[in-house]
Amino acid sequence: MTTPTLGVPTLSFTPVPERANTESVEVALAAGGDAHAFERLYRKHSSRVHSLVRRMLSDEDADELTQDIFVRVWQKLGSFRGESAFGTWLHRLAVNVVLARRAELGTRRKRYHDDDAPLELVSARRAPPELSMDFEAALARLPDGARQIFVLHDVEGYRHEEIADMLGLATGTSKSQLHRARMALRVHLDR
Amino acid sequence: MHDRWTDQMSEYLDGELPPHEHAALEAHVGQCAECARTLAELRSVVARAASLGDRPPARDLWPGIAAMLGSDGAVTPTRRTPPRRFSFSVPQLAAAAAVIVALTGGGVWVLRPSTRQELPVTATAAPAPAPARSATVRNAASRPTANQTYDAAVSDLQDVLAAGRGRLDTATVRIIEKNLMTIDSAVSAARRAVQADPANGFLNEYLAHTMRRKIDLLRQAAALASAQS
Repeated sequence: MTTPTLGVPTLSFTPVPERANTESVEVALAAGGDAHAFERLYRKHSSRVHSLVRRMLSDEDADELTQDIFVRVWQKLGSFRGESAFGTWLHRLAVNVVLARRAELGTRRKRYHDDDAPLELVSARRAPPELSMDFEAALARLPDGARQIFVLHDVEGYRHEEIADMLGLATGTSKSQLHRARMALRVHLDR
Repeated sequence: MHDRWTDQMSEYLDGELPPHEHAALEAHVGQCAECARTLAELRSVVARAASLGDRPPARDLWPGIAAMLGSDGAVTPTRRTPPRRFSFSVPQLAAAAAVIVALTGGGVWVLRPSTRQELPVTATAAPAPAPARSATVRNAASRPTANQTYDAAVSDLQDVLAAGRGRLDTATVRIIEKNLMTIDSAVSAARRAVQADPANGFLNEYLAHTMRRKIDLLRQAAALASAQS
């Protein structure tokens, strides 16, 4: 159930600032400890966060980690200074939580440099129709490193320098992994 | 497919190839159908990724989150275990400063010495005792210079603020203007108090303090406006 947002949107001449202001109010209320306001923020942003987690990690991890992310957001709301949009701040926090989870799983370093087999599987050209995958499924089959870089760069819009910084990689590694991921995914475009 | 060219295609699409390599790749793609197709496919992958929609969770995750925040998602701010870090924006700090100034100003009016009725007589007719007289003269001599400096500083900062005003959001401008009015009231009150009791060191110090407050607020507001550019 979606909780209605605050305010009565009648005779609004500037709808976008109005929405932004409404979110600012929700953030301020949530930072003051109002869980109902925080629920409204969750309703607004959960799809994006859940999709990020699903693409960066896996379907199985997405629910639990999305919950962890929003609990972390609740705990850290006091440090949100409004220097960026709340959604941007939340998203960056979500990425950090996802990457921390990857580090906990202990497979990050290996997956960035090895494990070409899944990439080859994904990029197998002209697979029979019964074995075809849609784009999201093909994305999920990429090796972790290439997938995360592809998601961060091409889906989420981060720059290579930012990705390299977040992942502790050389910029060149980020670029080459991105290229490999794109090459692997191009055969799944129209499925 | 030519690896030499395909290896450069992602950087080409992202606009990260040096100009001469960019031109060379374009020239090759113009002559090589296979590389042209690969480049088109890569371009489509980039476009497809950018257009991926978000999908909500299959089940409602809020109850689980609410349980971790507090029972049944109830408003339970006290359950927040980490100590809250409070941070304030410049306007918020300025607002707090203005309130303090206003409260202090009110306090000055209430608490200042009850010699108000005697002062006109002392100042205009009766000779004042030597120490008070010398203090009055000293203040009278120094005040015009301080006021001129203050007025010039205020004028300069107001010019800077006026120039950058368009870069501040209306809520911030409103807060700044409100605080400036509050501080102006405090400055006026302090000036009247000093006029009535020129020898009072506390009132003179308070007047200087309120003036500094205004300068500080203007300086912060001007810096904020400059930072938005």
